[in-house]
Amino acid sequence: MIEKSLSDRITRFAIVFGLTLILVYGLLPWLTGSFDILNRMSLALDENGINPSRYYYTDVEQVIESEQYLRIVLDGK
Amino acid sequence: MAQDKNAIVDHGQSKWSDLWKKEDYLAIWLGFAIIAVSVIAYFNFGPKAEFAEKIEAANQIQMAESAKAPFKTINWYKAQDDKGKLNASGSAFGKFVSHWTKTPGSWKTNPMDAFVRTAEQAKALDEKGMPKYEKAKAANDAALSLALSAEQAAAGASFKDNALNDEAVAKISDWRSAHKASGDAKKKIGNKPYNYIPSLIGLCIFIALIFGIGVKLMGENMLAFIKGFFIVFMVAVLAYLLGSQAISKQYGLGAEAWAILMGMIIANTLGTPKWVLPSCKVEFFIKTGLVLLGAEVLFNKIIAIGVPGIFVAWVVTPIVLVCTYIFGQKVLKMPSRTLNIVIAADMSVCGTSAAIATAAACRAKKEELTLAIGLSLVFTSIMMIVMPAFIKAVGMPEILGGAWMGGTIDATGAVAAAGAFLGDKALYVAATIKMIQNVMIGVTAFCVALYWAMKVEREAGRSVGAMEIWNRFPKFVLGFLAVSISFSILDGILGKDMGTALLDHGVVRGGTRLMRDWFFALSFAAIGLSTNFRELAKYFKGGKPLILYVCGQSFNLILTLIMAYIMFYMVFPEITAKI
Repeated sequence: MIEKSLSDRITRFAIVFGLTLILVYGLLPWLTGSFDILNRMSLALDENGINPSRYYYTDVEQVIESEQYLRIVLDGK
Repeated sequence: MAQDKNAIVDHGQSKWSDLWKKEDYLAIWLGFAIIAVSVIAYFNFGPKAEFAEKIEAANQIQMAESAKAPFKTINWYKAQDDKGKLNASGSAFGKFVSHWTKTPGSWKTNPMDAFVRTAEQAKALDEKGMPKYEKAKAANDAALSLALSAEQAAAGASFKDNALNDEAVAKISDWRSAHKASGDAKKKIGNKPYNYIPSLIGLCIFIALIFGIGVKLMGENMLAFIKGFFIVFMVAVLAYLLGSQAISKQYGLGAEAWAILMGMIIANTLGTPKWVLPSCKVEFFIKTGLVLLGAEVLFNKIIAIGVPGIFVAWVVTPIVLVCTYIFGQKVLKMPSRTLNIVIAADMSVCGTSAAIATAAACRAKKEELTLAIGLSLVFTSIMMIVMPAFIKAVGMPEILGGAWMGGTIDATGAVAAAGAFLGDKALYVAATIKMIQNVMIGVTAFCVALYWAMKVEREAGRSVGAMEIWNRFPKFVLGFLAVSISFSILDGILGKDMGTALLDHGVVRGGTRLMRDWFFALSFAAIGLSTNFRELAKYFKGGKPLILYVCGQSFNLILTLIMAYIMFYMVFPEITAKI
């Protein structure tokens, strides 16, 4: 296989990386701004300080709040 | 079974020297060392005695209030709030660890905000959040005043007038909602200036050294590892930076997704330099991270919402997992069993964390883990937006909707997001169901590792002895389980309040979780840097992984909804009424 030149590789990197950034930081904000449901969700997340990208329960503060709420309401009286 | 160089491997005969030469054991020792330092620091030098005193005082108040009134009074809640404020990670050690393990912060328009925040910027953020906080605080004060009046009226009738008692309960409930809103608004005004660049440099050197020693013990070149590690670390930092942007987070694209994506973009355009590849210790990072994750897998959590939660999270989940695996093997004829089980686990249990644990337990290939996580991220983003909208549109009750989302959406953060969008009660139920499901990853990893050692890797027609199972079994899973069981016992001994203050808000959130987060981010960066697009595409051939995910998730959606309805509305309606 013929090794591509450094300038070729840098160009390819810049194009792919640039397209990715445009997709995420251009298209997604446009989607959020264009659709009411997405916009409302964005505001709700900001207001509640929720990060949907966190995957485990200890990473999400709202889990412990929920657990404590349920512990209180389900406990006895 | 022929072993691939990409697979997570620890095979052959067991020797004593394995204990200090093999990756699995080294991951266990490294994880144990970090846990031991955190436990010793928080238990011996932390404010344990002070916490015990405060918890006892709060318990006394709560007991007296419980004896006085037939409902939870204002003072009862205030005592509960006092216990909730106890946070061991606020100690000197906690602050030190938190400072040196910081990840780049949130930003909206300027990426530099992730690394540096000046005093002026912090002040401006505080000023921006202040009007909302003041409004929320005023609402809280007003609600408290009404609650006090209602409680006094009920007390005036010696708590024997049911109408007055009900009125007091309603007013106290309103005050709690206002109190929560005020607390959330307060978080927006506690902004502090920071500069994370020195701590990131320090952390990079520290992690390079601890893993470098491990690499040296494995008989490899430590200097070669350290040299390339800086690139892996840089990719992880870049991933944290891109993943902490507000819009990126909204769609569930966090540091882990960006680490894989950035690594793959670099590997497939610029080409990962050969001197970086020895530092792509994917399995070493993952296994150590998993041992640390064991501290967060507390079995006591499964009773958090009573029997309905256990049925939704611990009965449906294994049924879906096993059925999806069998469907993949018998109907779809998936060529890779490991890809089949990793997708089944990440879809049915809890997304990324379950995928990591299962992939390591069954020695899946890096490309398979990447594919499973990619599918999970895409469907999580869709489901977290579509499910609450659908639930609202059909008028489904909040609690049923919350249980349904908690049992089906993969990532916990996305579950909380979808729950919050639906309403407070949906959030409470969804997040708690997800937490119970999260705990299942320990059992899943163990069962998968055992099944693979006993059945999948067995030669046809040959029985497998105990020694052979031991040789094949991924040992780090035992470290993971040992930590999980030890912490579950410790949490039980400490009790709920001390366990939360010292273990959850100390050892875990102020120690092991911070390192675990970095180790997983590093492993994803390493996966990306050593993954070829063409290799990855091979695993997607025929779209079978996508079909498996869609079919499995559809089954999961149906079964979880049925189970949630039966449990919360037919068998235990009294629990639903209390929520």
